[in-house]
Amino acid sequence: MSRRALDEKQQATVDAAQVAVQSRGYWATVLVRIGEDKVTLVCGAVLLVIVLSVVFADWIALADPYKADMMKRLKPIGTPGYPLGGDEMGRDMLTRLLYGGRLSLFMGVTPVVTALGIGGLLGLVAGFLGGRVNMLIMRAMDVFYAFPSVLLAVAISGALGAGVGNAILSLTLVFIPPLTRVTESVTTQIKNLDYVEAARASGAGNLTIIRVHVLSNVLGPVFIYATSLISVSIILASGLSFLGLGTEPPEPEWGLMLNTLRQSIYVNPWVAALPGLMIFMTSLTFNLLSDGIRSAMDVRL
Amino acid sequence: MSDYEEAVVNSSHANLAETTETGNILVVNGLRKFFPVLGGILNRTVAEVKAVDDISFSVRTGEVLGIVGESGCGKSTTARLLMHLIPSDAGTIAFDGQTIGGDLELRGMRRQMQMVFQDSYSSLNPRLPIEDTIAFGPKVHGTPADEARARAHDILRKVGLDPAQFIRRYPHELSGGQRQRVNIARALALEPRLLILDEAVSALDKSVEAQVLNLLLDLKLELALTYIFISHDLNVVQYISDRVLVMYLGKIVEIGAVDDIYERTLHPYTQALLSAMPSMDPDRRIETPPLTGDPPNPINPPPGCRFHTRCPFSEVVCATREPELAISPATNGAAHRVACHMRSAGSGHTQAPA
Repeated sequence: MSRRALDEKQQATVDAAQVAVQSRGYWATVLVRIGEDKVTLVCGAVLLVIVLSVVFADWIALADPYKADMMKRLKPIGTPGYPLGGDEMGRDMLTRLLYGGRLSLFMGVTPVVTALGIGGLLGLVAGFLGGRVNMLIMRAMDVFYAFPSVLLAVAISGALGAGVGNAILSLTLVFIPPLTRVTESVTTQIKNLDYVEAARASGAGNLTIIRVHVLSNVLGPVFIYATSLISVSIILASGLSFLGLGTEPPEPEWGLMLNTLRQSIYVNPWVAALPGLMIFMTSLTFNLLSDGIRSAMDVRL
Repeated sequence: MSDYEEAVVNSSHANLAETTETGNILVVNGLRKFFPVLGGILNRTVAEVKAVDDISFSVRTGEVLGIVGESGCGKSTTARLLMHLIPSDAGTIAFDGQTIGGDLELRGMRRQMQMVFQDSYSSLNPRLPIEDTIAFGPKVHGTPADEARARAHDILRKVGLDPAQFIRRYPHELSGGQRQRVNIARALALEPRLLILDEAVSALDKSVEAQVLNLLLDLKLELALTYIFISHDLNVVQYISDRVLVMYLGKIVEIGAVDDIYERTLHPYTQALLSAMPSMDPDRRIETPPLTGDPPNPINPPPGCRFHTRCPFSEVVCATREPELAISPATNGAAHRVACHMRSAGSGHTQAPA
């Protein structure tokens, strides 16, 4: 084969490869990459099962989560009618885990979403405007950093009193500073890139530049960071309930269940460990999933 | 008739008019930018970096003005000042005889004057398809979305990229040369009359650089553009420029037609720069470095002529009095100006003309 023909053949292969790459957009590429990542897929599936079964607890659960039965206290896993045993009041564990997950997931997700809105906005403003505004916002956030996050959450909800609403409020306050800081640092980086300068040179105002050029580039990293915070939030919310600052009995909630079953750990350790296992599984899958999405979104590798 | 064809027709008239006596598209007067150096506990200004110090020049309609100088001499700061991306401390910039910020609104100026950045990667939004990047400028100026998109396709074709193949691509799917073409397309989308090219080809390899340079020259003819071409590559500047402006430490040291600068060099700094120019000819090899050391710190530039610390012809007068950028008796034409005591009559320098 002549050299020229060889070159042409090679060129054709290159062209075909380019067409293949070109045919999918950015998000499609991300999806394909997630599809190739087994760990992320498994974690996504497990998380999906947990979320769905918790949301549809009304249809799945066999019993009433509040109905106590003194005769069925601390039954082991596998007792007929009690697939995951009974708790210290003789209530069905499976039912309580399903209903408890509702509150746990709600208390895990709500503070992060709220804090993402508030902290994201603050960070965007601080990063984009810079100067005095930046200093004002970021120094105010530094005040919150002086306290460990667990302590801060306990202190705030302790001061406000027990209850789901107050626990969510205190967790939101705990998550605003880190989300502000992450958004601010990403925004500051992007603000100084040439494409933002080019957008300004074409006569665009600040709002248009933020909407078209800054937001799309800030959102990715910040969103991934927020996902990893959800697992922290679930653990913190469970911790608050464990300390009696979140939900109150007889409301089912994983952290609270862990607390009340604590005394029975020598009688029936497997049942007592179940809420902890759920917390562990949920936060682990959330973490691994956000890790997977992070690496899939780094298309420029 | 499309906007572009119209522009071309109009411009050819303009070109005819300009051959008689060229109008100035841009007149810069006393432009100055000092960056404060903050220090101490109260963040007070303790010193100033004199990035651009009182420079004046003009750009003629339809020409290519090359700006050369070492890194840190204020080339890019000048470009950013011209684009009003950073505020100037003093001086005026007039576009077409209208002072920007005064007679001419900033937004109006930005339609007429655009810039191509050096780093073709960081100057394109990685999350935006090429089409949206190019159509962004026209949309900001109120062009309806589908018209802006059509214009983007049009311009993409002009810079030598097939719209059908490229519009939906993202920057990371393009090569360096393709990205720089997209950058040029983005700048042209607003149909500007003046294009500032800040090291626009410096990051490209030689073969691609040549393609992009030729593209720039073609576009200039086709769209009747004026270029300010900033580069540290003297060969490229010689190839593309009509006139050249040499900067040193925030000052203009020499300005003139390209042949005057390259063949009838007057300033010792320009001479040093030119002798540092790599040549393909082994007979023109130089063994000794024409200039040693780094430029002095622009925070405290030397008094008098800023080049005197490195100048082989430096004398007492150079360290005490600052030379003015003026027409020298040594030049043949009026357009060649230099800031050097050796070229100025009665300056006190021993080599000065009588």
